[in-house]
Amino acid sequence: MKASPLHVTPAPLLTATGIVKRFPGVLALDRMDLAIDEGEIVALLGQNGAGKSTIMQILAGVHPHGSYEGQIALGGKPFTATTVRQARAQGIALVAQEVNVVAELSVAENMFLGDEPTRFGFLDEPARVARARTALAGFGVDVDARASMASLDLATQQLVSIAAALAKDVRLLILDEPTAALTDKEAQLLFERMRALKARGVSCIFVSHRLAEVFAIADRIVVMRDGRVSGVYAGHPESRDEVVRAMLGGAIAEGDARGARSATAAPIALEVRELVVRDADGARRPLVSGLDLSIAKGEILGLFGLLGAGCGEAALAIFGAWDGPVTGRVLVNGQEARITRPSDAVGRGIGLIAQDRRQALVHEHTVAENIVMATLPSVTRRGFLDVAAMRRLAADYVKRLAIKVPTIDTQVGTLSGGNQQKVQVARWLASGAKILLLVDPTRGIDVGTRHEINALWRQLAAEGHALLLISSEAEELVDVCDRALVLRNGVLAGEVGRAELTEERLLRMAAGV
Amino acid sequence: MKLFSKNAFRDSTLLLVVAAIWIFFQFMTEGTFLTQRNLVLLALQTSIVSLAAISAVMLIVTRNFDLSVGSAVALVGVVVANLTVKHDVHPAVAVAAALATGVAMGAWQGVWVTRMGVSSFIVTLAGMLYFRGMSMIVTDGSTIAPLPDSLADLATGFMAPAPAITLLVLGLVTLAAFQVMGARRGRELGVINQVGPAVARALAPFVVGAAAMAWLASRQGIPYLVLLVAVAAILAEIVMRRTPFGVQLYAIGGNPEAARLSGIRLNRVVFINFLIAGLAYGVTGVALTARVGGAVAGSAGLFLELDAISAAIIGGTSLTGGRGRVFGALVGALLMGSLNNGMSLMNVPTFYQETARGVVLLLAVAADQLRRKRRNTS
Repeated sequence: MKASPLHVTPAPLLTATGIVKRFPGVLALDRMDLAIDEGEIVALLGQNGAGKSTIMQILAGVHPHGSYEGQIALGGKPFTATTVRQARAQGIALVAQEVNVVAELSVAENMFLGDEPTRFGFLDEPARVARARTALAGFGVDVDARASMASLDLATQQLVSIAAALAKDVRLLILDEPTAALTDKEAQLLFERMRALKARGVSCIFVSHRLAEVFAIADRIVVMRDGRVSGVYAGHPESRDEVVRAMLGGAIAEGDARGARSATAAPIALEVRELVVRDADGARRPLVSGLDLSIAKGEILGLFGLLGAGCGEAALAIFGAWDGPVTGRVLVNGQEARITRPSDAVGRGIGLIAQDRRQALVHEHTVAENIVMATLPSVTRRGFLDVAAMRRLAADYVKRLAIKVPTIDTQVGTLSGGNQQKVQVARWLASGAKILLLVDPTRGIDVGTRHEINALWRQLAAEGHALLLISSEAEELVDVCDRALVLRNGVLAGEVGRAELTEERLLRMAAGV
Repeated sequence: MKLFSKNAFRDSTLLLVVAAIWIFFQFMTEGTFLTQRNLVLLALQTSIVSLAAISAVMLIVTRNFDLSVGSAVALVGVVVANLTVKHDVHPAVAVAAALATGVAMGAWQGVWVTRMGVSSFIVTLAGMLYFRGMSMIVTDGSTIAPLPDSLADLATGFMAPAPAITLLVLGLVTLAAFQVMGARRGRELGVINQVGPAVARALAPFVVGAAAMAWLASRQGIPYLVLLVAVAAILAEIVMRRTPFGVQLYAIGGNPEAARLSGIRLNRVVFINFLIAGLAYGVTGVALTARVGGAVAGSAGLFLELDAISAAIIGGTSLTGGRGRVFGALVGALLMGSLNNGMSLMNVPTFYQETARGVVLLLAVAADQLRRKRRNTS
């Protein structure tokens, strides 16, 4: 085939054909094909379980050559890496989805983990620090290379991880949800950096659930479903609808089925007055200063703010789980509630669903055991567990919340993120919680499942529960909330009613413009 | 630049505790505790636990435990005593055989942990039982003694004051040279501003330590056994802090998943870790046998694993992995040893000694936990 002299086709850097990867009982990849050109930015989309992580881990050498079928060629040569180290030596670097660092080690130590610079066989500490500094500066991360990783927040740890991947000679950079922990500004910085790499001929595959940013940066969008590529689209906004449809497999939920809720004043379920939350050392300015809010039964109140606005801290404080000093009053159903410990809150029928599903669920336990965990007294008879009652209760909630599990004896760790989140909800409902504080509940959950979870919130509200929904994504609040409060630097910046609830409005208010 | 950072003081709380204990005993024993003679004895008494504690730190840092140390050491002792006493093997050959036996035991346990995926707690608990059992079978429960003098001298002999102090000075000079080289390179690469203060800060604790050692050595020299501990500790510290292998140990203990995704071969590193532990069985076994003067299959090294783990934990090693220093463990061993030694000088009955040690272990670790919590929140 002759290319016309005016049309220069970039050489494909990587081609994968017919990749099949099986895990015990699961076909993760089913004859997947993928090609990436030199200097191309490819977004990989798909619901959880579509096989995105698997293909990325294969390319990064996490799953060794031989454990999957199919061919991969990198730069025209067969790619047969059996270890992460080999893949990296060939220029493929993966930044994992969860911020995955060794908190006990320093920034520089983390950045060169498994690839430590040596001199005469011994660690070359000065070189390591110097190289770490260069890499951090090059990526615009203002962190001391000698600082302990534990002293950094999640977003900074993520930036350090990316900077570390870029510190080495990279031809293909793979980023698994790189922006999940980043603020918009940091994400912009990352995109700039990705464009600079692109100009140098470095290719990039990244996964994201934020569609807006996908269209802003990707040259090409590859949508995966059930272990196969279900569509490839150009990276411009016109393809948005098609992309969403390809991800969901046709079943797109059109519009919100939410009817106009009756405006009759329902009784207030939760009222918070003059909430002040301080850092544990107490010295700095309050993280939240003087927040008032109230949620009626059957209402979903949104709480929005940029990173550091104090939304998550406020929720933890209401729940009695904040480490530092907290002042203010909390009224539950009009009655003063002294909440100093999470158990106080639970006793008042308040449940908290936190950002990190991993911490809240016991992965090795079954769905049933996780659901009844907070309700043990009600399924105990004469001091012994009433297994039948426990299973009935669990089965009821699995059905009611449409949790997709083979059986209630399935281990929670094997479920998808969305279903894990539902198990958490089931636990609170089983324990009689009427007020739910939701802190970024759909973080890391794909678009399709998100629709489902959002529908669940509405269902719960319709059943008379009061929900406080905190999200870093304005879109989510616009979709579900009846009303939203916006925090800026710990201070209430304003309230937006249902009628004026738009993403732009929330973002402007949160940013103070 | 300050000579001591705030952290240096915080890290030295343990040393302050040891100092307090020493002052207490100094008063209670009317001045016998802090004599050169008693301190040298204390160093000797602490040496076996120290050797075992060094390898305990390396294992615990990767979230592995070794409960078999005591029995493994007894079995090594049986090997070395059997060869020299019953078969007239040259001591050097016997020591080599003992070290090889130790490494083989380490490899054996390492295989079970890394290849079969059995938790190290169980593997070494089993080892604790059958290593002891094998020692009893081979010796039929009887003591094998006396060892040839050349071997016994290893544990009872002293390096004379003059060469000992020369050795200390040489060691210090070598260390200083390395520090200066490192700092210079740091300055070249723009990592360190000034060579002088950086070197001074790194060397200060060693100068103090060497001065104390020199004072101790000035009377009758330094026991070979204490030198052995010092050499082992320095080697271990170099491996842990100055080689990629060491960083990988910390990484595996701190976050195994992050380590795996960084391309670190967890099983390989842990296996090597067990080989090193095996080498430590060999060294500790020979040292203990030499010190006792023979192999006592039933009681040699009894509870050594618990003392070693206690020393490591008191010295700041985290049970959940990722954190721990060899020198800390030495101070931990010294703390436990000081209690034994001081209470014996005071003629406290053994039953009370055990009780006191248990309480101190609990308090020391609780205090450390409290301090860490406070540091994390500030």
